[in-house]
Amino acid sequence: MIRRKAKANYPYAVARVRGKKRALIKQEDYSKLMMMELPEISRFLGETNYQQEMAELGGRFDGVDLIEHATYRSMARNFSNVLDFSQGELKEMISAYLSRWDYWNVKVILRGKSFGADKDSVSEDLVPAGNMDEAYLEKLNAMGCCEDIIEELEKRLSSKFPEAAVEAYKQLGKLNGIEEHLDRLHYQRMLGSITPSTRAKRLFRNFIKREIDTSNLETVFMLKMDNVCADDIMRYVVDGGLQVDKGMATRLANAEDVKAMAAELADLDFYEDIKPALESEEISLREVVDALHRYRIKETEKFSHLYPLSVIPVIDYMVHKKLEVDNIRIIARGKVSGLDHETVKGLLVI
Amino acid sequence: MSTQEITPTRSVLLEVKKKIKLSESGYKIMKMKRDGLIIEFFDIMEQAKEMRDRVVQDYEDAMKKINIALAVDGAIAVKSAAYAMKIDPQVVLRNKSIMGLIVPQIEAEAVCTPVVDRGYGVISTSAHIDEAAKAFEKLLETMVEAAEVETTMKKILDEIEKTKRRVNALEFKVIPEMKEAEAFIEFRLEEMERENTIRLKHLKKVAGAKE
Repeated sequence: MIRRKAKANYPYAVARVRGKKRALIKQEDYSKLMMMELPEISRFLGETNYQQEMAELGGRFDGVDLIEHATYRSMARNFSNVLDFSQGELKEMISAYLSRWDYWNVKVILRGKSFGADKDSVSEDLVPAGNMDEAYLEKLNAMGCCEDIIEELEKRLSSKFPEAAVEAYKQLGKLNGIEEHLDRLHYQRMLGSITPSTRAKRLFRNFIKREIDTSNLETVFMLKMDNVCADDIMRYVVDGGLQVDKGMATRLANAEDVKAMAAELADLDFYEDIKPALESEEISLREVVDALHRYRIKETEKFSHLYPLSVIPVIDYMVHKKLEVDNIRIIARGKVSGLDHETVKGLLVI
Repeated sequence: MSTQEITPTRSVLLEVKKKIKLSESGYKIMKMKRDGLIIEFFDIMEQAKEMRDRVVQDYEDAMKKINIALAVDGAIAVKSAAYAMKIDPQVVLRNKSIMGLIVPQIEAEAVCTPVVDRGYGVISTSAHIDEAAKAFEKLLETMVEAAEVETTMKKILDEIEKTKRRVNALEFKVIPEMKEAEAFIEFRLEEMERENTIRLKHLKKVAGAKE
């Protein structure tokens, strides 16, 4: 919950992130990047905001791995920087928003540990863009087994993992129950951190609720396409969605098939945005997910201009920075793996 | 069987005749087996062709999906999801017989797993990664099926070769040689009989002159 100790420094933080947003790669640069070969992309990045990270990691990685790790590290540094210069309730909201990276890192560590991957290899894959700093993540990574990590996380997060999930890990080595608990916890705390006292905060709260909507839709589509029964589908639905709540999810899960489920979505506000993906003869999960992703980005764009002195421009910057990292990786990986130009273009969100 | 090694006696002739009969019936059976195997081979070859096309198709599909997952979600997320997978695919090997030829029957178990059993959390794992995992499971299943068909085809081909060599050996070497031996023995026996008759006639003549 938000503790109102320091006053939120909205004007300063917003001015800083606006400056940072201006430094992001421009739309026209993506067209140039699309025409470049991998060494040229590396050089281009080495001459932009990624210069420091490219130089730092140049000795450990090369090619597309260097690009991926350098862009992630740059993103982590920028997000930590934003968190550092924010104060008061703004800091708490950003911190709650960035905790997704904490959970992401925890999952990477747990998966690596349960598989038996070596410590250094897991360490390379961490993106300390959240509240857990590198030292804490390394401490988790250095622990002997997943049980110790789970115990430590219960203390840090002040939340007990469901016994069934811990038992499933101990018996079968399955981490899904643990991971799902972390995902629920993230959204629950995220929503809890936003007191809807102003219109901007209500808008931000709805933005998060919309994210839960799209996440729930993605999950229901994925499970429905895998012929999972309705009761089981409902176990994976996250509470707190704006439109795709438990009631809507139950209707979707009980639909006869994927087509019938798609028809149930007609009442949603964003139906028009995902309609093309739902109209094809055979509905593709990837197309639906991409449409949902595009919709989310469109929403961010729209609401970022509404309240200049609020948390919204900060979140807008973070979404765009993540998008930039994703787009660079899509272009670089697309080049290396020989994906055709049109496929790469279709995957980019510019 | 060289004619020099043959003892031209009636018992050997009977034995050779028996062997010829046996070889001829063996030859007929081998020829039938060879023809049957060839028919089986053509059937299995069609299946193998189809399987190879399916393997290529599934491989291309899986590679495209993994490349998209690598691009959209990154190698770190893909690697991490792979670490979470806990079910090891199992292969059960059985045998079946085609015209006496033992060929393997391979069955893949726990290759295609439901999304909820893959080990990673369903809520946050990207659909691109899940689609790639599904495509690779399908590829693995097709490859197990292809392994069965390809091994069967190779075994049948080897057996056809072996049977063909046996048929040819019987047709062009064993049976002609035995027939030659039979003819030789018959000829020798006839000659010995003629010699015997002449000898008897000669003895009769000598005895008549003495009297």
